[in-house]
Amino acid sequence: MSRRYVGEWVPRNEDSRLLTGHAVFVDDVRLEGMLHVAFVRSDHAHAVLRGVDASAARARPGVVAVYTAEDLGDYWRPGPLLVPPPPIEGVVFNLATQVPLAKDRLRHVGEPVAMIVAESRYIAEDALADVVVDAEPLEPVTDLERALDPDAPVIHPQLGTNLAAHVVQRHGDYEAARARADVVISRRFHYDRGASAAIENRAVAARWDGQAGELTIWDTTQAPIPIRNGLAGMLGLMQSQVRVVAPFVGGGFGPKIMMFYPEEVLVPWAAIRLGRPVKWTEDRQENFFATTQERSQVHDAEIALSRDGRILGVRDSFLHDTGAYDPYGLTVPINSQCTLLGPYDVPAYDAEFRAVFTNRTTVTPVRGAGRQHGVFVMERLLDFAARELGMDAAEIRRVNYLVQDDFPHDHKILFQDFQPLVYDSGNYRPALEKALELIGWEGFPEEKRRAREEGRRLGVGVVSYVEGTGIGPYEGARVTIEPSGRVRVATGLGTQGQGHYTAFAQIVAEALDVDVARVAVVTGDTREFNWGTGTFASRGAVVAGSACHAAAQAVRAKVLGVAARVLGVPESEVELRDGRAAVRGQPERSLPYGELALMANPLRGGVTPGTEPGLEATAYFGPDRGSTASGVHAVVVEVDPETAMARFVRYVVVHDCGKLINPVLVEGQVQGGVAHGIGNAFFEKLHYDESGQLQNASFADYLLPTALDVPEVIMAHRETPAPMNPLGLKGVGEAGCIPTGAAFAQAVEDALSDLGVEIREIPLSPNRLFELLREAPVPLNASTAP
Amino acid sequence: MIVDGEHTFSAPRETVWTLLQDPEVLVKAMPGAKRLVATGDGAYEGVIRIGVGPVTAAEWSLQVLLSDRVPPESYTMQVDSKGALGFTRGNAKVELLDETGATRMRYRADLQVGGKVAGVGQRLLDQVAKMMTKQGLEALSREMEHRLARGAAGEPGAAGA
Repeated sequence: MSRRYVGEWVPRNEDSRLLTGHAVFVDDVRLEGMLHVAFVRSDHAHAVLRGVDASAARARPGVVAVYTAEDLGDYWRPGPLLVPPPPIEGVVFNLATQVPLAKDRLRHVGEPVAMIVAESRYIAEDALADVVVDAEPLEPVTDLERALDPDAPVIHPQLGTNLAAHVVQRHGDYEAARARADVVISRRFHYDRGASAAIENRAVAARWDGQAGELTIWDTTQAPIPIRNGLAGMLGLMQSQVRVVAPFVGGGFGPKIMMFYPEEVLVPWAAIRLGRPVKWTEDRQENFFATTQERSQVHDAEIALSRDGRILGVRDSFLHDTGAYDPYGLTVPINSQCTLLGPYDVPAYDAEFRAVFTNRTTVTPVRGAGRQHGVFVMERLLDFAARELGMDAAEIRRVNYLVQDDFPHDHKILFQDFQPLVYDSGNYRPALEKALELIGWEGFPEEKRRAREEGRRLGVGVVSYVEGTGIGPYEGARVTIEPSGRVRVATGLGTQGQGHYTAFAQIVAEALDVDVARVAVVTGDTREFNWGTGTFASRGAVVAGSACHAAAQAVRAKVLGVAARVLGVPESEVELRDGRAAVRGQPERSLPYGELALMANPLRGGVTPGTEPGLEATAYFGPDRGSTASGVHAVVVEVDPETAMARFVRYVVVHDCGKLINPVLVEGQVQGGVAHGIGNAFFEKLHYDESGQLQNASFADYLLPTALDVPEVIMAHRETPAPMNPLGLKGVGEAGCIPTGAAFAQAVEDALSDLGVEIREIPLSPNRLFELLREAPVPLNASTAP
Repeated sequence: MIVDGEHTFSAPRETVWTLLQDPEVLVKAMPGAKRLVATGDGAYEGVIRIGVGPVTAAEWSLQVLLSDRVPPESYTMQVDSKGALGFTRGNAKVELLDETGATRMRYRADLQVGGKVAGVGQRLLDQVAKMMTKQGLEALSREMEHRLARGAAGEPGAAGA
C-alpha cells in the first residue's frame, strides 16, 4: 500500500516557523543603509491640487529626498488596467487607474501626494508636517445615485461622467416569467463597505544592486510574478533583472493582489534613484485610507415564482461603488451578478449593473469579492417569497436546487474569467439536509419556544451558495528530487497563510511516495519560479495544486526511467515506495531517490540524447473554466431586542470543495471565513460622512469580531469531485464569508418574527438593528407572541 | 458638524463687538491659540495647538476671515485650519443681541473636519468642539470683564479705545 497524503490530516508544516518567529515578513527585511518612507496623503475627498511645497521638508535634517508628482518626470503615469472587462455585448467600461502621486486632483482621503524618504521613519513622519499642500476643495461625490446625476461633479473630468461601467446580461425571458408568476417579490437591498483588516498591513522594501544590475523587491503582494513583470516594464529593466519576493504575508484577502499601489511603484524607483535600500511599511491608519476596500452596492431586485415556490425568473439592477479608481475592472460586480444565481435553477435572469466612481478609497476584491452581495440578494428574496407563500425556508431552497442531471449547467451569461458561467458539478440537496440535521432544524421551533419562555429570543437561518473558484489562466510548479533524497517544490503564487506549504507537499509526497516531511515547498519568489499569476479567486490549491501534481507525475516518470535503466528491468517492473525505487517483488534490489538523482546528473559519461539531467520537472495547469464549490450555512442567533445585541449561538457549515487535500486546512479556511463573514454581517462597517471623510479609521471605532463573538463552527464536508482537474479540487478560501450575512439576516428576522422586522441591508450593527426595531410594524412592547 | 449655542456677556453690545474684532482678545479666547495677527480688514492668521483624543496635540495653521459685518449686530466668520493631521474648515454666523447692560451672543457654526483627525477622533470631535467653545467663551467673558475693569479705572488699552 503506497502512501496516502491527499485528503489526510497532515499538520501544517509552516506553523513551526510561524509560531517560533522564524518566518520572514517584509518588515523584517533590514538592510545596511536602509532608508524609510512616509507619505503625505490627501485630507480631502475631492479637491483641486493647486500645488505642493516641499521645500521645508527637504531642508529638514535626516530627510534624504522628497518627491511630488512633478519630481517623478516620465515615471509618473497612471497604473495598469489589471483585469480588462469581459467581452459582454454592449459593455461600457470607463477606465481611470490610480496615479503614483496626485497631480491635479485629489480623489479620495489618503491618496498619496508626496513621498518623503529619510534616514528613519521618525524623521520621515516628522517631515510630513513640513509639506504644504495647497488644495481647493470640490464637492465630494459619495452617494451612488447622486454620482450619476447630470449636475454631479465629475471625478475624472476626462471621462465626463462618473459612470465607470454598465453591463447588462440576460438569459431567458424575464418579462414572460413575471407575467405568468403567482408571486412577485421586489425589494431594495443595501450592502455597505468594510475593510479587509489583514493582521499585517502592506509593506514594500527594495534594494538596487548596481554591480549585479539587479533589483530585489520584498512585497506583501499576493501576485509576485505580475508585480515583477509590471515593475520591470515601468523601470525599463529586463524581467530577469528584477526579483520580487513575497515572503510570509500576514493575510491577503484580496487587496494585496497585483495592485501596483502607488507605494509599491515608488519604493523600488526611489531605491534605484538613491542607490540605497528603501522600505515602507503601512501603518494601520494608512491602511484604513489607502488599501483597497470592500464595496457598497444598492440592488433593486425582483423574483417571480409559481405558487409551489419554483423560481420562474429573477431581475436585478444594481449600483456598484468602485471608489476613486477602477484598476480591477469589473471583477467584483460581475461576481455579484453571477453568484446571485446560486445553486438554483433560474430559467430567466435579467441582470444589469452600473459601476460608479465615488470620492472614496478604491474598491477591488476583498474575500468574497462581491459574491456575498449576490448571495444576500437571492437568499433574501427567497426568504421573503417563502414567507409570502407560507413555505419553510429550507423547502423553498430544496425545490429550486439544480439536480445531478443538470450538470454541467450553463447559465448563459459570462463570468469574471471571461468564460460562460457553467457549473461543472454539484450536489446541493444532501448538503442542505446535513446542515439542517446539524443545526437541529426539525426541533428548532420547540427550542425557540422554550427559550422564549425564559425570555430569550432565538432565531434560525439556513442559506445556500455556490462559489466559482479555481479559475485560470494558469499556474506552474517545478518539482526536484535532490541528491539528499529530499524533494523541492517551487511555485509562483504568493502565500498568505493558507497552508500552501503543506497542501502542495501532500500532493507531491503522494505522487512520489515519499515522506511528506521530506518535501520542502517554496512560493512567492520570482527567482525560484517565474511563471504564474497569483493567489486570488480561491484558486491556489486548485490551479497551482494541479500544476504540482502534474510536475510530480513527470518526475515520477523520470524516476521510473532512471531506475529501470540502473536496475536493468523494464519500467513496468519498477515500483516506487517510501522514497525508493525497487524491482517489483524484490525489495532488496532497490535504490533511494537521492542516488537516482545523482545518477541522473553524471559527471562523466553522456546524458542520453533526448533526456534531461536530474530528477526534475516543470509543469503547468490551466483549466478551461473554474470549478464550482458550494455549500450551506445554518445559524442560530440570540437577539436581545432591548440592547439590539445579537449573539451567534451555533454556526454550521456544510461545504463541498470537491476532493479535500487536507481537512485541517479546509476547516481553518472555513472557520476564518466565517469570522470574516460575521464581522461583515454585524460588526464591521466603514462609516463615511457625506463629505467623503472616513469616520472610524481605527480599531477603537471599526469593530472586528473577537474570539468571543465567533463560535466554533460545526462543520461537515461533502466531496463532489471537480471534473476540471485531475485531483477533483475546488477552492475554499472565500466560502466561509460569502453567505454569512444572508444567514444572519434570516436568523435575526426569525428571532424577531412577531415584530415584523425585515432586514434588507448588511452590515447590520446593534445601532442599526435598534433603529430597525423602533421602525418595526409591531412595537416591541405590543408583541403578544409567547 | 454643527456647533451652536448662546452666551451672555455682561457688557454693552458695542464693547463686545469691538473686542470680538481684536486679535489680541481672540487669541486669548481660543483654547490652544498661540498666535493671531490681523492681516487685513477682518482677516487674521495664526497658529493653534489642538489634540483630539488619540490624535496628539499638534500645531495647526489658522486663517480667519470676518465678513458680512453689520456692526454691532452680526458677522460671518470663516475659519480655515490645516495641520499634519488634517483640516478644519467652516463658517460661523454670529449675532449679538442687545439686552439691557448685557449682550447675548448667538452662534451657529457648520464645521467640516477632514483627514486623520476625522478618521480617529470622530467619537470625540463633538465633545471637543463643545468643550473648546465653552472654554473660549468663558475666556472671552473674563477678558472682557478684565478690560472693562481696566477701562473703568482709566487705564490705557481700555475697551473701545
